[in-house]
Amino acid sequence: MIEALEILLLSLADDDLLIGHREAEWIGLGPILEEDIAFASIAQDETGHAQAYYQLLTDLGLPTPDEYAFKRSASQFRSAHLVELPNFDYDYAMALVRHFFHDAAEQVRLEALRQSSYEPLAGLAERLLREEKYHWMHAHTWIRRLGRSTEEAHFRLRSAIDQLFPYAWMVFEELPMETEMVEAGWLPPSSELRQRWLEKVMPILESLNLAPTFPSEDVLLPMRGGRHGLRSPYFDELYAEMTEVSSADPDAEW
Amino acid sequence: MSSLDPRIRRAEPDLWRFSTRPLEPLEHWQTYEVFTLRTRGGHAQHVGSLHAPNDEMALILAKEQYARRSPCVALWVVPTAAILWTRPEEEDIFQPATDKSYREPQGYLHTRERIEKYRDRLKPANP
Amino acid sequence: MYGNLTIRPEDIENWGKKVHEEDPQKIAEFEARIDRGEKIEPQDWMPFEYRRQLIRLIEQHAHSEIIGALPEGTWITRAPNFRRKLALMAKVQDEVGHAQLLYSAAETLGKSREEMINDLLSGKSKYSNIFNYPAKTWADTAVIAWLVDAGAIINQTTNSKGSYGPYVRALERICWEESFHLKYGYDSVVYLATGTPRQRAMLQDALNRWWKPLMHFFGPPDSQSVHTEKLVRWKVKLATNDEMRQQFLDMYVPKIWELGLSIPDPNLRKNPETGRWEYSDPDWDEFWQVINGNGPCNKERLAVRRFAEEKGRWVRDALRSPEAKYVTPLA
Repeated sequence: MIEALEILLLSLADDDLLIGHREAEWIGLGPILEEDIAFASIAQDETGHAQAYYQLLTDLGLPTPDEYAFKRSASQFRSAHLVELPNFDYDYAMALVRHFFHDAAEQVRLEALRQSSYEPLAGLAERLLREEKYHWMHAHTWIRRLGRSTEEAHFRLRSAIDQLFPYAWMVFEELPMETEMVEAGWLPPSSELRQRWLEKVMPILESLNLAPTFPSEDVLLPMRGGRHGLRSPYFDELYAEMTEVSSADPDAEW
Repeated sequence: MSSLDPRIRRAEPDLWRFSTRPLEPLEHWQTYEVFTLRTRGGHAQHVGSLHAPNDEMALILAKEQYARRSPCVALWVVPTAAILWTRPEEEDIFQPATDKSYREPQGYLHTRERIEKYRDRLKPANP
Repeated sequence: MYGNLTIRPEDIENWGKKVHEEDPQKIAEFEARIDRGEKIEPQDWMPFEYRRQLIRLIEQHAHSEIIGALPEGTWITRAPNFRRKLALMAKVQDEVGHAQLLYSAAETLGKSREEMINDLLSGKSKYSNIFNYPAKTWADTAVIAWLVDAGAIINQTTNSKGSYGPYVRALERICWEESFHLKYGYDSVVYLATGTPRQRAMLQDALNRWWKPLMHFFGPPDSQSVHTEKLVRWKVKLATNDEMRQQFLDMYVPKIWELGLSIPDPNLRKNPETGRWEYSDPDWDEFWQVINGNGPCNKERLAVRRFAEEKGRWVRDALRSPEAKYVTPLA
């Protein structure tokens, strides 16, 4: 069962590690000082959540959070491709929509994990939900406000939603060994979680006339496999950068 | 020269494209004044001001700028434009011109003396 | 009772007035207040020159914070472990937060944030020279966080004894946050100094490159500085450049030497007789060159700020309220 547990926790942790990393790229470049600060906090929280998930594995005698984050090979990652995407041309609509989709998913997962039969995870979920509350407040307020503002903002949101919705859909890709996890009472099936996620995001998007159509299998195909160790084309550059210092002198402590 | 910052390198095609187009007045939005309550039972305290586009977002943005590092149990925001104040020239309206000791505890320091005097008076003269 | 006005009519009338043209009685009252150790608040009468110099000072300080986020930001995606990654994010975030606090303090004097940013982007308004140097390696972030922040704390602690209320209040919070930066920076430096040979070499190299900008940090020597008697009297300027530089050397040179690092100045020594540090001329020509826009990173720093403002424009425009009216922040 330890193998299944590692798959589950790495999926959760890797998502948070990489989105925290991508969101941190905005620090000092945000659209206005106040938002720069708020988004930087969210990036920190996500990174901290990743660390906390890895730590549950460390507690079982597995590698440390730093080893998981900085010393793995690409195929050992279990992140969804959504969080690996670059901040392309620094379009804040893309950043906000990804944050909106991710934090809705995070909240849905954490709500479910509170009931997890794996107690350390249930306890952690309870704690992390505190920070998620603010993330979600921040995300949906921005989306609602921008969605009802200018034509340009609406256009940019629509374009970001169309691009990111299929990736977000694949956050709920079925996990390897999911049947065992569900039977053990760790969490509900991914398809069930996706349903709850849709119930969270769709009414907001519909009210703004921004609801996307559900993606077809063809569209989803290249976005598959994140949970199974298949990385997006953007991962290698991201990871080379993230580990540039730590790998330059592997014996060093920093 | 290419930037040393990979984040900036990724922006490079765009980076040099912009000329200085001045910001317009109010482009950074109107201001709010922010107050925090550090503990339950305390007074809210003014902690600074904030630029925000509307009331709802003022609260959300104030939370991280003013309550991320110091204790806070509640946050208030008020549009700066809604605040009234007294003018510095009017500072003297707060200074009493006559003796107001009748409404201060220190205005009532001599009761013991009075009692002592009274008791002295009651004492029979030395035989 | 008065509501909030941008600048009062009498302030505009006084705009451009020299000190000797102003009402001597008002000046006397103003100076008496400062002599009593009281603070000046935004609603108070103040000499034009006091307002002008404070705007200049606080605005430059704010620009330095937002531009200062960039050299360290260079390493934000490459921090080597969770602890450093989180701390660097928090530190750079704090710098952005400081800019926010300082722009607000300057705004109380009647200049809007937009005008200040415009003056930054057009090059009219300056920021601290030190941020025009590149952060070439991870060790640079450690040296910046330790020694540049140490310099900043000396400067800001000095300024926090000033006379202008909103600036002093902002500085109180800033100094408190900077003390975390300093600890984080020192911790990072100590890890490098006590680490592998490669880490030590990286650190020494960074220190070698940052020493000159650090010597420039407090500004030109007093002998070359403009006469600032009035600003001292008004508690806008509280210590001379050389005094702050001496304080910095006194506090940090022994700590640098303790780590077995060398400082790239063969003449650096404390004169036991005068009790003052002596050092080689740190090339003030270069200082002026960098101020005038010819440092290694001036162009990139401003291009990045311009880029960020432009990229954020549609976001800000989308939420602008048509009813909004400009009022200066309260305090």
